[in-house]
Amino acid sequence: MPKIENPLFVSLYAQWVDKVLAETNNIDEANQRLRDMGKEMGSNLYLTTELASKTKDTVMTREDVAKLIDSIYRLLFDRKPTDVDMKSARGSVRVADKDCIWCQDITLEGMRGFGYCEAFSGILEVILEFKGVDAKVFQELCKATGADNCTWKVRLV
Amino acid sequence: MSSDLERALSKLRFDEQVLGYSLMTKAGRPFVSFSFPAELFPRVRDSINLYKTDLRLMTIDTDRGLVVLSPVDMNWILTVLYVTELQLGLAIAKTKNVMRLLDGIELPPPPEEFEESAESNLKVLESIAMQAASTSPVVTPIEPTGEAPFAPAEPEPGPVQEEVVRLPEAFNVQPSTVPKRGPDYGTALSLDSDLHNEMKQTHRNFGFDVLMLVDGALSVAQIADSMFQPNERVVDLIKWAASKGIVEAPLCDEKADSEPTMGRFVKCPKFIGDLSKIKGKDIEILRLCDGKKTTEEIAETAGVQKSQVIQIIARNKKHGIKMIGKTV
Repeated sequence: MPKIENPLFVSLYAQWVDKVLAETNNIDEANQRLRDMGKEMGSNLYLTTELASKTKDTVMTREDVAKLIDSIYRLLFDRKPTDVDMKSARGSVRVADKDCIWCQDITLEGMRGFGYCEAFSGILEVILEFKGVDAKVFQELCKATGADNCTWKVRLV
Repeated sequence: MSSDLERALSKLRFDEQVLGYSLMTKAGRPFVSFSFPAELFPRVRDSINLYKTDLRLMTIDTDRGLVVLSPVDMNWILTVLYVTELQLGLAIAKTKNVMRLLDGIELPPPPEEFEESAESNLKVLESIAMQAASTSPVVTPIEPTGEAPFAPAEPEPGPVQEEVVRLPEAFNVQPSTVPKRGPDYGTALSLDSDLHNEMKQTHRNFGFDVLMLVDGALSVAQIADSMFQPNERVVDLIKWAASKGIVEAPLCDEKADSEPTMGRFVKCPKFIGDLSKIKGKDIEILRLCDGKKTTEEIAETAGVQKSQVIQIIARNKKHGIKMIGKTV
């Protein structure tokens, strides 16, 4: 039986997702609700942690974005993401995580397009926004729906 | 055929970053051209001849700008000249968008003799297509037989239909929505129409670009992706276009707002381990853990308390139990 990392958090988030799914009409709406909640979390994290002071004030390039994502990972999960890909998509950065904390031990069936970990998209998006980066973040792949990695796409606008 | 081809090519004509284009034969002869510099043709022809049938998407960096060559089919090659400062990726994406529009159009092979780069060649192409089509069986139209026995002599005027004006907000457009062409789609793309002018005023060329990609197959997210634009911008445009009858998009259904359409989200335990290793009464409960029943349903079937089912599932998790989340 795999060990669950931070079970309190995982159980809180699972409750949160259940509530969102109960209150929304379709997958897109549910994804958006999770992203919106993630944005609230991100704002709070930005206020209560040292992220603002320990990262560059102005994030200009995709390399800067990648470094900022590394810092967010270090702060939240005390490790690096599995991969930060800046090459395969022009104007975008892809973040892959094979040990995603959000959807640990979650298996979803028949819910194609649902991003269980969309809250993290919101966190990334709002922190990038605070650093002056206009970006849209979406979860592309999710381990809960059968992917090998959870992957988020940061599309720089 | 001809109007579809014209429509696809007009996307290039009204693109400010396109300096010129030419629909060329596989031999590298310009058939229909628009503002394409004549001095570039020899270089393009050389490149086409160099690759012949192996030609895929190809770019040539010239003093006049960036040329993108893309084969349309076995007979035709689309050549587009973009402004020098346009990024390579964007030039390729723009060309691919036009290629997508050309996808369903069957172009006849070029005639043996034609005046190069003449505008009238499009009509020539159309007449070839019509000739080819005339060899196929023709359905004879049913001739009117005089009086229709069951038709009323004078049709009664039907109830006057009130034109329903809907605001853009009345439409429920999501990134996954697949918009279709509406009754006024053609009017919006006609350059001399009021609708086109209104679209130009409110959305500039963006409106035209999005509408060219509306084909009843691409979703809003796919359109946005291919244009390197955020979903929200395309959603707003589609909502506006839907309010004008240019495209068809689903309406916000008040009933749907109050009644969830996604279904109820449930979690169903599924035992994936070896039942022979399970001892005692737990086996009866675990047998019911098939990933299709919720803990409540298992409890009801087994005639036990839900808390007991949870205890058993938790106790045997090490033997392999997954919680399957789904909507029912």
